[in-house]
Amino acid sequence: MATRQQTHESLLTKKMSDESYITLFMVGVLVAVFSAASLAVPNFYLPQNILNLITNNWYIVILGIGVTFIMITGNFDMSVGGTIALTGVLAVYFSQASNVSQNALANGLGLPYGVAVALALLGALAVGGINAFFIAQLKVPSIIVTLGTMMLARGVAQVITQGAQRNTSLPAVFGVVGSWTVPGTSIQLSVLIMVALIAIAYFVERKTVFARRVYLIGANPEAARLSGINVGRYLTILYLVNALLAGITGILLASEYKAGISSRAMGYEFDALVIVLLGGVSIMGGFGSVLGMFVGAIILSVVTSAATGLLLSPDWQFTLKSVVTFIAILGQRFALDKRKG
Amino acid sequence: METQDNVLEIKNLLKVFPGVRAVDDVSFDIKRNTVHCLVGENGAGKSTLIKILTGVYQQTGGHVLLNGHEYNPQNPRDAKQQGISTLFQELNVVDQLTVEENLTLGMEDTWLGFLRRTDKINKMVDVMKSIEPSINPRQQVSSLSVAQKQIVEIAKAVAAETDIIIMDEPTAAISESEIERLFTIIRNLREKDVTVIYISHRLDEIFELGDYVTVLRDGCHITTSPVAQIEDRSELIRMMIGKTVFDEYTPPEDPCQDAVLQVRHLSNHRLTDISFDVKQSEIAGFYGLVGAGKTELARAIFGADYYEGEITFKGQTLQPGPEKAIAAGITLVPEERRTQGLFTILTIRGNIPVMNMGKISHNGFINAAQERSATIDYVDRLNISTNSIEKETAKLSGGNQQKVVLSKCLFADADLLMLDEPTRGIDVGAKSEIYSIIRELSREGKTIMIFSSELPEIMNVCDTIYLMYDGVLKDVLKNNCDIDSENILHIVTGGN
Repeated sequence: MATRQQTHESLLTKKMSDESYITLFMVGVLVAVFSAASLAVPNFYLPQNILNLITNNWYIVILGIGVTFIMITGNFDMSVGGTIALTGVLAVYFSQASNVSQNALANGLGLPYGVAVALALLGALAVGGINAFFIAQLKVPSIIVTLGTMMLARGVAQVITQGAQRNTSLPAVFGVVGSWTVPGTSIQLSVLIMVALIAIAYFVERKTVFARRVYLIGANPEAARLSGINVGRYLTILYLVNALLAGITGILLASEYKAGISSRAMGYEFDALVIVLLGGVSIMGGFGSVLGMFVGAIILSVVTSAATGLLLSPDWQFTLKSVVTFIAILGQRFALDKRKG
Repeated sequence: METQDNVLEIKNLLKVFPGVRAVDDVSFDIKRNTVHCLVGENGAGKSTLIKILTGVYQQTGGHVLLNGHEYNPQNPRDAKQQGISTLFQELNVVDQLTVEENLTLGMEDTWLGFLRRTDKINKMVDVMKSIEPSINPRQQVSSLSVAQKQIVEIAKAVAAETDIIIMDEPTAAISESEIERLFTIIRNLREKDVTVIYISHRLDEIFELGDYVTVLRDGCHITTSPVAQIEDRSELIRMMIGKTVFDEYTPPEDPCQDAVLQVRHLSNHRLTDISFDVKQSEIAGFYGLVGAGKTELARAIFGADYYEGEITFKGQTLQPGPEKAIAAGITLVPEERRTQGLFTILTIRGNIPVMNMGKISHNGFINAAQERSATIDYVDRLNISTNSIEKETAKLSGGNQQKVVLSKCLFADADLLMLDEPTRGIDVGAKSEIYSIIRELSREGKTIMIFSSELPEIMNVCDTIYLMYDGVLKDVLKNNCDIDSENILHIVTGGN
């Protein structure tokens, strides 16, 4: 009996999961990059700067949460940037007072703010619904579908704004959520929302049957189906949630700028993709974590911010991002291969 | 002079996989310009032998002489260059190109990367015309039938002056009239100085086509003789199965009479009008050769594939769909464990509970302690050898992987367990462990359906044996001591 007990204990030998290992590896990279930047750039290590590094990219992080889950199923969502633009423009258009000006761009529907936000979020869900229909029901590759809806969402936003922006005749309440800060600090409400969403996502990822099945779908979709998982239903839920997250981001950004801009959030889908990959999420699916994605976001933030501090021209931003991404992902592959022997 | 008559000489060939001698000291010669048939049951070592000849595997020991010279191909391309081409069941033609483009594929004459029409194309086309005049060289390959595509591949091999063409079940997917045409072509190949190694489960074809036949059994060479010297198919079957003794089977003590599963008029693209009943705690075996429709039947019952007809389980009509089947109490151990059964990048703990997450969770939240203890429970019960439940399943041996898949299905608490090729590619020890698990489950009152192309497996464990051929249920037998394995092989190879 004693030996039995012993065998069980050895079977339980707790080994860190590969996800935690990669996240820790990226934390190491973050510390290294941050230390180097602190040596090179004056005042880089100050608490206020650290806070900025963590909070400045809240919108990319919120997008990254949904994109992480979607990539864990082995799929993509390139429509999030367009969805942000669409939701922001819709929220503005629905909130603008009606019949107040000769200028068509100054007239909206005059709906109450709450109703306008709800309807705008429905617009975001519509984009998610189209994604889900084509990907989950018709089995079209997600990269194709979401590239299509990316242009569709932005296209509709452009029509509503006539290719420009809407920023007049807005009620005062429109700007509140985007500009409210925690009293006595510079922390925006949006950042609090980001932190709350990260916490929820981390909990869901680690504790729920839902997330477990998301991993199973990514690890082997056919085995998942034969294990009784309704793959289509899970993909549908994920694309709807992801669209909703993009929609919330769109509302917050529109409120912060008090404008609905059709070119808003251009390229955010790629930024979200970059931080997700930096965070160690596998493009093949079945592997990755929300916490890793968050670390990836901070690394990207440190690198771009340090480059600006070193007076590197902003023209170098893209090149820099690509170099960081390449090095980080090669590093991860190396570390994982080494670990698995 | 002797060596000139033999195009291929196989001497003491040995191939060892962990736990199994797949090809065990095999020696025989193949005479030049003949059709040499290779027969044996699944697992007899045919495919391993072929894979050595085509350079997919390297032998563990022994020699192969091609035209009297040492032959030791490093890869399939190397084998082809040295003179052995293969016609696989999965054809190697490019549908989007024309026939003549396919003929010269990989050896085109080019100028700055552009295709040049040279004599080479004309030569190839001439060879093909001499084999089969009815194919237009400008035709798109996608518009050809399977048999015509095979002919294109044969022509390509002949034009490349190959010595030997290996044909692996070439008639499995083509129609009767096309088979006749293919046979005529194969017979004519000897005039083009080509030897054919022909593999087929349809024994009649061997008598119709073959000059020589080699029988393999359990990795060993049984005989090589001219087909003319073999009396009839029963003699061939006797050599294929040998004196296999099926003494392990003991009939259940109190056979239960309630039909738990009723299948009525089940048909789909591979199945024709299948009806049968399975009784509670019965072990039903479905035996047939590769392509007989066993996997398709299992997948249809499980709801993984489309079907017409009606399935009743425990008195209720079964709705199609794996999630519905699992909810009703049916699980499937699929044919391909790595691609259909296992989540190879996940751990043992990540695999075992997936079919019944409700048992380890409350309101959608996983109880980690329950998950671990349930996993350990199954690692114990099925004797899965591992040092940790956190081990990635990709790193387990085939037998242990299969036990994980089996645990996954058992964890779902199903009343009917379907197993498709449950012991394929796993060693003897793990096999017998799996058989005893199956018997024990049946004693516990579970109903088992085994779909297998290994007759000893079916005879060892099954109470009832269903014979399938070409999507049709041909016969049902009760397993007992005087069951006639020759007759069984007769039926599943297309006899009446």
